[in-house]
Amino acid sequence: MRPIHRWAVVAGVFVLLALAPMAGRAIPAHDRSLSAGQLLSLVRDGYTAPYSGTVEASGRLGLPFNDRFTDLADLLGGQTRLRVWWRGPDDWRVDRLLDTGEVDLFHHQDVTTQWDYERDEASVGPDPEIRLPRDSDLLPPRLAALLLAGADGSDGSSGSQDESQVSRLGARRIAGRDGLGLRLRVDDPRSSIDHVDLWADASTGTVLAIDVYGAGSVPVLTSAFTSFDSARPTFDVTRFRAPAGVRQHFEPLLDFADAANQYAPLTPPETLAGLARSNRKGRGVGAYGTGPTRLVAIPLQQRDAAVLTDQLYNSGATMRHGQSLLRAGPLGIMLTAIHSPFEFQWLLTGTVTDDTLRRAAAGLARGSSYR
Amino acid sequence: MIAVELTKMLRSRRSWVTIAVIDALPILVAVLLAVTDIGPRPGTGPAFLSAVLTKGELYPLAAVAIVLPLFLPAAVAITAGDAVAGEAQQGTLRYVLVRPVGRTRLLVAKLVSVTAFVLVTLLVVAVTGLVLGVLLLGDSNSATPTTTFSGTDLTTTQLAQRTGLALAYALLSMLGVAAVALFLSTVVRTPLAAAMGTLALLIGSTLLLTLDAAHALRPYLVTRYWLSFVDLFRDPILWHDVVLGVLLQAGYVVLFLAAAWANFMTKDITD
Repeated sequence: MRPIHRWAVVAGVFVLLALAPMAGRAIPAHDRSLSAGQLLSLVRDGYTAPYSGTVEASGRLGLPFNDRFTDLADLLGGQTRLRVWWRGPDDWRVDRLLDTGEVDLFHHQDVTTQWDYERDEASVGPDPEIRLPRDSDLLPPRLAALLLAGADGSDGSSGSQDESQVSRLGARRIAGRDGLGLRLRVDDPRSSIDHVDLWADASTGTVLAIDVYGAGSVPVLTSAFTSFDSARPTFDVTRFRAPAGVRQHFEPLLDFADAANQYAPLTPPETLAGLARSNRKGRGVGAYGTGPTRLVAIPLQQRDAAVLTDQLYNSGATMRHGQSLLRAGPLGIMLTAIHSPFEFQWLLTGTVTDDTLRRAAAGLARGSSYR
Repeated sequence: MIAVELTKMLRSRRSWVTIAVIDALPILVAVLLAVTDIGPRPGTGPAFLSAVLTKGELYPLAAVAIVLPLFLPAAVAITAGDAVAGEAQQGTLRYVLVRPVGRTRLLVAKLVSVTAFVLVTLLVVAVTGLVLGVLLLGDSNSATPTTTFSGTDLTTTQLAQRTGLALAYALLSMLGVAAVALFLSTVVRTPLAAAMGTLALLIGSTLLLTLDAAHALRPYLVTRYWLSFVDLFRDPILWHDVVLGVLLQAGYVVLFLAAAWANFMTKDITD
């Protein structure tokens, strides 16, 4: 064999190996002739469909928080690897995969158990009405359900300014499946989300990948399956058995948002900046809006608010009239001035514009009341 | 030829000094953990290290996780980089090839020798880790079984099987490094250049893995799946990245061995 033939063999091997990872993606995706409205219906039908697989999520929100907010900052500002077994909304398991262990959520009915390998502890608690985002919220189907809530599937025929519009995108191969593309265009001027692109499994409607865009051309949050199986997982895999020697402790409060919702002595008004309240009246925390236009008002005690104020200030927040305002992509974060006689400050955050946050803060100053 | 290379590697004082140096770090870490009783905070440090204070039998895996990112690949790069270039630098390559030995066979023998070196190193690290884990670490009062990352119990047999699989995976992960170093060893005239070239590739790969802009390159980066052996300790076992890691290393071995063969077969041997 001559030298040129030997190097030709090497070049051939190189080309084959370089193309191998692309082979799966090179298979053209089969599209279906569905209108945007029909695809939206298929996606909504898929909310209860079972599935399992692995997911990679990536956030670029860059929240500058630490202490009790560290998990939230990691969730929305970093890479997250998840593994999921979803038998239905009342029976699922989501593992956050780490190089040094994993943190697992086992959900049955209204109770969720969290297992943390490295801390060697298991905690059980009821699902609260209000809580901070957690790993399971990053799954493409869960994220899609949150953002598509209230979306208009009539392809713009209703003409209402408040309704978001959907349109079709091209199909994509995702985790070996055909993903049908759908774009949600956000028309609400109060929202800081520009649009949401998603791809749903052609046969089950389960959302396989989702990209959320703020003002720029790069998605601020992406989540996609890297492997996917539409078969129903067995009950055995979603059941948590506490390891020997590990005692499951009961956690009545999940996080500070849950605590504020249950025990804060004041309650926000029924509407803020024109957005209607979506959670129960008379509770400490107010959740407002729907779909991609969401806002939450959480009352904080002064000592908690002081820690947050420092973090916002150090991250370059705008300070005006006792209010701190920070923008992390489409996510606005505002800490209001102290309102006597409550001695509480409101944390306002959501996917809304700065102007909407200021209007909401004014609404809180006027409309908050004792419980 | 293979027997000759294996004997040479096993009789080499340098091989055993290198293995001892690699083994020294996990030994030091075990002693520090035993003396201070302070483990790494969750999410920090090598895999399994936070668990070894209560489960000493996991220390072989922690020891492998300690040496795998840097110490072991550096040693492989030096050993494999020396395979051909070292002979050339010492002026013995001509005499080796005078024997009725094909150049292809010589390359294969060199790769087998490096593989054996990695295997011996991993076994020494694992056995040392097990002895230290049982004697110095772990909670002797605790009778609770070892668990997977997912919290399910592992029997002693299952733990041994999964540890064996993890060691085999670590061995495979080093074969890609060995193939690159072997190729460079056929190209350059000094072992140091071959080792440095290989280390440059490894550092570049590690750096690119952290860069979002290099996302498209990730499936090809040699260090991409090195630590995926931890997925063998999830329940159910997550095979996805383990399989991709094996395929990636196989790809590196095939490509760089082919390149080493193409280069070495036509190379003028003057040293």
